[in-house]
Amino acid sequence: MAETTASSDASKTYRAELLICAGTGCVSNRSFKIRDALEAEIRQRGLDDEVRVVTTGCQGFCAQGPIMIFQPDGIFYQMLTEEDVPLLVEEHLIKGRPVEKLMYVPPEGDEVVPKLSDIDFFRKQRLVVLRNRGLIDPEKIDEYIARDGYRALAKVLTGMTSEEVIEVVKASGLRGRGGAGFPTGIKWGLTRQAEGNGKCIICNADEGDPGAFMDRSIIESDPHAVLEGMAIGAYAIGAKNGYVYIREEYPLAMQRLHIAIDQAREYGLLGEDILGSGFSFDLAVHRGAGAFVCGEETSLIASLEGRTPEPRIRPPFPAQSGLWGQPTNINNVETWANVPVIISRGAEWYASLGTDTSKGTKVFSVVGKVNNTGLVEVPMGITMREIVFDIGGGIPDGKQFKAVQTGGPSGGCIPESLLDLPIDYERLMEVGSIMGSGGLIVMDEDTCMVDIARYFLDFLRSESCGKCTTCREGIAAMHDILADICAGQGEPEHIDLLGELAEAVSDASLCALGGTAPNPVLSTLRHFRDEYEAHIRDKKCPAGVCRALITYRIDPDKCKGCLLCTKACPEQIIRGEAKKPQTIDTEACIKCGVCRESCKFDAVLVE
Amino acid sequence: MIEQITTESTNGKIGAVMVLGAGVAGIQASLDLAEMGFKVYLVEDQPSIGGAMAQLDKTFPTNDCAMCLLSPKLVDTARHHNIEIITNAQLHKVDGQAGNFSVTVKKRPRFIDEDKCTGCGTCTTNCPVRNIAHFEEVDEIGQVQLDEEDSQTLQEILTRHEAERAAVISVLQDVNAHYRYLPEDVLRHVAHALKLPLSQVYGIATFYNSFSLVPRGRYVVRVCMGTACHVKGGHRILQALERTLAIPAGGTTEDKNFSLEEVRCLGCCGLAPVITINEDLYGSVTQAKLPKILDRYQGEPVAAETTTAGADDG
Ligand SMILES: Cc1cc2nc3c(=O)[nH]c(=O)nc-3n(C[C@H](O)[C@H](O)[C@H](O)COP(=O)(O)O)c2cc1C
Ligand code: SF4
Ligand code: FES
Repeated sequence: MAETTASSDASKTYRAELLICAGTGCVSNRSFKIRDALEAEIRQRGLDDEVRVVTTGCQGFCAQGPIMIFQPDGIFYQMLTEEDVPLLVEEHLIKGRPVEKLMYVPPEGDEVVPKLSDIDFFRKQRLVVLRNRGLIDPEKIDEYIARDGYRALAKVLTGMTSEEVIEVVKASGLRGRGGAGFPTGIKWGLTRQAEGNGKCIICNADEGDPGAFMDRSIIESDPHAVLEGMAIGAYAIGAKNGYVYIREEYPLAMQRLHIAIDQAREYGLLGEDILGSGFSFDLAVHRGAGAFVCGEETSLIASLEGRTPEPRIRPPFPAQSGLWGQPTNINNVETWANVPVIISRGAEWYASLGTDTSKGTKVFSVVGKVNNTGLVEVPMGITMREIVFDIGGGIPDGKQFKAVQTGGPSGGCIPESLLDLPIDYERLMEVGSIMGSGGLIVMDEDTCMVDIARYFLDFLRSESCGKCTTCREGIAAMHDILADICAGQGEPEHIDLLGELAEAVSDASLCALGGTAPNPVLSTLRHFRDEYEAHIRDKKCPAGVCRALITYRIDPDKCKGCLLCTKACPEQIIRGEAKKPQTIDTEACIKCGVCRESCKFDAVLVE
Repeated sequence: MIEQITTESTNGKIGAVMVLGAGVAGIQASLDLAEMGFKVYLVEDQPSIGGAMAQLDKTFPTNDCAMCLLSPKLVDTARHHNIEIITNAQLHKVDGQAGNFSVTVKKRPRFIDEDKCTGCGTCTTNCPVRNIAHFEEVDEIGQVQLDEEDSQTLQEILTRHEAERAAVISVLQDVNAHYRYLPEDVLRHVAHALKLPLSQVYGIATFYNSFSLVPRGRYVVRVCMGTACHVKGGHRILQALERTLAIPAGGTTEDKNFSLEEVRCLGCCGLAPVITINEDLYGSVTQAKLPKILDRYQGEPVAAETTTAGADDG
C-alpha cells in the first residue's frame, strides 16, 4: 500500500494525518463522533496547524471498526471510542508514543501488529479498483485528481479514438463484474455499432445480492473512479446520457455520488464540451425502491422508464434497444471503476493479473463466520483457502470450517475439499457455483446447509417478479419441500422431487433469477447430501439450527449457576438454585437460543 | 329473456355441469367434461367465446401462436353435442345444493333473430353508428377529494419531478417518505396527474419492498435478512423482536410506535447481524441487547442524527 496521502490543500504540509474511516460500517460505530472529538482535542492542544483529520471511505476491515490510520507512520488503530481520543492525542501526537492497546492483535497471536502494511488482512490484497480506498476523502474531487484521477479521461479525450478505447478494453480481458462475466469490450463494441439516434449508458448499482457490499463501498470510498469510468465508456460508445441506478438502502453512497457529480460538473469533467474536446456527457442518479429483480438489466430499464419492472425476453438486447428504445450499455459499478486504471496503465499490465480466462482483480466481501470480516481485493486465481484463512484469519472460536457460499442466490456452496481451487469465472462454474457479484459467505459447523438452501429459496420466492409460472410457483413449491424437511417432515422421495422441480424451474423461466434459482439447492445436495439425509432419515439437524429438530440442554458439568441465562430467558423456564447447575424445561422451551448466546461458559448444548 | 335450467335424475344428482366464463380455461374444462359424458352449459358474459387468449399474439414461455392453439378448441366447443353455449349472459341466481343446482341465467338481448342470423357481419360493416361505448365512464377522480394540506404536498412532489410519467417511482418514494406509507387517495391522484392507469400505479406500489399501503409506525425497525446476517442468527433477532413487540414481521404496534420489517442486506454485512431503526444502524446485535436499544425509541422521533448511535453499549 502506498504510504503517501493526497492533500487537498497542496500548499500546506502536515506533520501527521489521521485518516478516519467513514464507510457505513464505521459510521454506524460513531466514527463521525470520533472525528469531531479528535478535531476538538487537536484544536484545544493547538496542534491544528501541524495535524489534519481526514475522513475517508471504507477501508475494508469492517470487523475492527471504527478504524483510523495514522500517517506517515502507517499505524493502524481499531475499535476506537470517543474516550480513547485524549489518550491517543496525548501519547501519539504529543509524546510520539503509539498506543499499543488500540492496535490490532491477530486472532491466534497475542503480539500487536502496529502497521497496516503488516496486517495479514491487508498484506495479501492487490488494490486496483480500490486503489484510493482509505487514502482520499471521497467528498473532495481534488484529492482524487491529486492521485492521477481523471487523467485517463483526459488521455482518451485528447489522444484516442473510440475504436482505440474499445480495443484497449477488449485486450485487457476485463469481464463484467455484475455476475455473468460478459467481456466488457465486446459489449461496448456492440452498443457502439448498434443503429439508433442517441445512445446511453447505465451503471448498475442495485447490488441485490444479500451479503455483498463491494459496489456500495466503491461508491462510498471513490465515487469519481466510477464517474471517470463511465465518462470514458460514454466516449467509446458514443453516448451522451448516463444513469446510475442505485439501491435506496445505500443513503450514504447516494449522497457521496451526488456530491461527486456536482463537483465533476463544476470542474467541467461532466456536462457540455468536456475538457474542451467537444465531447459532452452527463449523468443522472436514479434511486431504486427495493426489488432484487431490478438488478436484471431489462427489468432495470423498465424501472427507469417507470414501468412495472418485469424482465422481458432478450433479444432485443439492451445493446440493440434499451432505455427508451435507444442502444444501451449496462455495466456494474466495479466494472466501470476498473476502466480508468486499464486506460492509464495499459491493457497489457491489466491482463498480466489473473488467470487465462479471468483477468485483473476482484473485490470480495468476506463475511459470515470468519474472523476478519470485510472487503478485500485480490487477483483472480487466488485460492479460496488464502482468502478465508490467510486474509480472513480463519474461523472464530476455534470452530470447524464447513463451506463458502459464492454468487448469492444464483450461486452455490464450496466445501472444504475444494478450498484450493483457484478462483475464476470458469472454475467456479465447474463446481456448481458462480462468481456472482463477489459475496463470499463463510459458514462453519454451526451452519445448517439445508437451512441455507431453504433461506435462499425463501429469498427468491419473495423476490420473483411472478411473470413466469415456473419461477413463481416452482420456487415456492421447492421452498415448501425444504421447509418440510427442516421441520422434520421430510420424506426420502423429496430429494428426487427437488431435482425434478429444479429442472423445470431452470428450463422454463425467462430471466436468470428463475434460471439459476435451483443452484443453492443443487449445490448443497451435491456437496452436503448427508445433511439432507440426517434431516429426513434421522430427524436431526446436525448443525443445531432447525428449530423443530433440536433441543437445548444445560451441561451440568460446565454450568456454574451464574443465572445469566435464567434472567435472559423470555419464557422464564430455566430453573435451579444460584451457584448450582440449572435445567431447562424442554417442553416449554421456544428454542430462541438466548441462553446459549448469553452463557459465558459454553454450558448450553444444542442437539 | 330469463331461462330456467334444471335437469332431473333418479339418484338426486344430475349429469350436467355449468361452466362460467368461456376463456381458454373454461373452454378446455367444458371440452373435457363433455368428453366424459356430462352435459355442459358454458356461460359467457361477452357476446362471443374465447376470452383474453384470443387477443394475444404469443403465449409464454414457448412463444406459440395463441390463435393456433385456441381456434381448434373454439370450433370443437361450438360443434360438441354435449355443450350448450350461452353467451351475452350473466349468472342471476343459484339454488339447490351440491349435485343438484337450479341456476338462473340472465341473457341480454341481441336485437336480432338468432335462428336466422348466420354471423356474416354485413350489418356491422353497414351500421352508420360507430364506437358505442358499452360502459359508463365515471369521473373517478372528482369523487376523491384531497384536503388542502395533502393536495399541496402532492403538488410540491409532482412539481419536483416535473409530473413526468417515468418519474412515477420517484414520486411514490417521496409520497412514501412524507406519509410513511402510500395513502389510497393520494395514489389515485398520482395516477390521475401522471395520466397512468391506477392499476399500473398500484402494480408499482406493490412491487417494491419499500412501499407500504398501510400506515406505519413512528419508528420502523428493519431487521436484515441478508445471507451474512442469516448465518449469524438474524432470524433469531427477528423472532425476538416479534416476541417483544408482539407483532409479526410487517406489522405495526397498536400505539403506532413501532413497525417491524425485514430488509435484504443493508450493505454492512461485516457487522452482521444488523438492524436499523429509522436512520440509525446497529451492528453485531444480540437478543440480549434488544430491550436497551428499543428503550431509546419511545415518544416523538428525534431529528435524524448524521451519525448513528453505537451498538456496543448494550
Ligand atoms: C436477478 C438478477 C439480479 C441481478 N442483480 C444485479 C446487481 O445487483 N448488480 C449488478 O451489477 N448486476 C446484476 N445482475 C446482472 C445484470 O443483469 C447485468 O448482467 C450486469 O449489470 C451487467 O454488467 P457487467 O457486464 O458489468 O457485469 C443481475 C441479474 C439478474 C438476473
Ligand atoms: S424468471 Fe422469475 S423473476 Fe425472471 S421474469 Fe420469470 S418470474 Fe420474473
Ligand atoms: S447481510 Fe445483513 S447487512 Fe448484508
